[in-house]
Amino acid sequence: MERKVAVVGYAMTRQASDIGVPRPIMLFELVKGLFDQMGITRDDIDTFVLCSNDFQCGRTISNVFEDTPVGAYMKDETKVEADGVMAVMYGAIRIMSGLYDTALVVGNSLGGSEFRPYLIMDYQLHPAYDRQLGILNEPVTAALQAKAYMEKYKITEDHLNKIAARLLRNAAKNPFALRGKEDATPEYIASSEYLYEPLRELHCYPFTDGACAVVLASDKRAKALTDKPVWIKGFGDSIEGYFLGDRDLSWSRSAKVAADRAYRMAGISNPAKEIDVAEISIKFASQEPIICEALGLFPEGSGAEVADRGLAEIGGEMPVCPSGGGLGAYPFSAMGLIRVAECAKQINGEAGDIQVKDVKTAVAHGQDGFCAQHNAVMVLSSEEG
Amino acid sequence: MAFQMGEETRQVQATWDVTTYNYKVDGRGIKLLADGMKDKKILGIRCHNCGTVYVPGPPFCRKCYIPIDEIAEVKDSGEVVSFAVEMADVRGNPLDEVRVSGMIKLDGSDTFINGRIQVDDWHDVHIGMRVKAVWVPEPQGNLSDIDHFEPI
Repeated sequence: MERKVAVVGYAMTRQASDIGVPRPIMLFELVKGLFDQMGITRDDIDTFVLCSNDFQCGRTISNVFEDTPVGAYMKDETKVEADGVMAVMYGAIRIMSGLYDTALVVGNSLGGSEFRPYLIMDYQLHPAYDRQLGILNEPVTAALQAKAYMEKYKITEDHLNKIAARLLRNAAKNPFALRGKEDATPEYIASSEYLYEPLRELHCYPFTDGACAVVLASDKRAKALTDKPVWIKGFGDSIEGYFLGDRDLSWSRSAKVAADRAYRMAGISNPAKEIDVAEISIKFASQEPIICEALGLFPEGSGAEVADRGLAEIGGEMPVCPSGGGLGAYPFSAMGLIRVAECAKQINGEAGDIQVKDVKTAVAHGQDGFCAQHNAVMVLSSEEG
Repeated sequence: MAFQMGEETRQVQATWDVTTYNYKVDGRGIKLLADGMKDKKILGIRCHNCGTVYVPGPPFCRKCYIPIDEIAEVKDSGEVVSFAVEMADVRGNPLDEVRVSGMIKLDGSDTFINGRIQVDDWHDVHIGMRVKAVWVPEPQGNLSDIDHFEPI
């Protein structure tokens, strides 16, 4: 990268099923709190990148209602409709252009209290085809994806239970997560009801309210804003076609393409060795092995072994989602931003009970669309350059 | 100062029922598929460059990125590529009867379509299972002319 960009500040709300305040207040408190904590004002921010979704906000052009709460009044402002990792990429690219030195990226969702995310996802379905057929909805597509992977690589529901139990145990140690259980076991997961076989309630993301804000800065400004900048070393993004009928759901081609791009930019040739922790965005337990394998964190088809041997545990070979990830909370749009912030926490040694030892390099992943149609991957590091 | 939960908050109910709208559909794709169903035919489009047969057929090849228009008929039988067993509806209400939704690769097609699979016991459904379309008695030329799929 010619012009380097760092994460210099971050804050998130506690993720909840009902955060209890309206969106503008949630955003104002979050961003004002972050500015105060960093000792800056909105005048220090050159460009604002908002990440939200019209349908999820209950109003079109959602950003026009969010700009004043985040301090963007009369400032340079833009919006990303998809996921937070994509918004951070966009903010980083704006700084790399040389036009700006600082950016505030904010994502939010009230998917816990204001709407049911599955129903919002219905509006992403093709109006003249999928909606006419009336077969697909989000959990159905997730179950189709789960079955495709499980059949191909011989993993069982018990493995899904192990993945979900690990994430809920991690989430219990993360004060910002919505749903955690300290002593979650595979049996506990198996005791929840089937919604869409093979997926049980506890394999699925909880409907979540939450927001996250991240401040980015150029190398020129970063060190004046923090003594612990976390450098964005590489990023990549890729999208599949919309029609699930075109896709082999047992793997994620676009996540792999996105990861390859990010790793090339970051100079990473062996992700499994060079990455110390991963924070990925999964909506269903069955997506974890698919995304991890696309990101090169584990070998292809290794989901069963990873779950059986606990390789993704906080103390494991390749810790995945020490925060609890998508099963701990899934605030749309803020999800990927939280992954970036969690990576920064890990790198800065600020992750408390979910801290992984000696983290230098971390990878954040975000997704959008049915069966993770759109994927973005970002590599973060304590090392500049 | 911190806002106290609830003190400043009121909720109002809002809906998204703003308007109905006209959604344009490409005549060679979904309409071709629907029209053909009147004669119990399943029609897609083949890419003359890479040979991919799409059902429903797009006006351009998604991989080659060129316009395509060669009509290709595929069979109304095929193989289950994946399936979901629905125990609840999208709102989370339990269903009286479980529904099996399948992704099906019709013989002659390179892409998959979605359809309901009817069996006595959902445990019998498996990936790789052969299925056949069951048509409604009097097809009208729309996507619902295939009522469901059943095992062969």
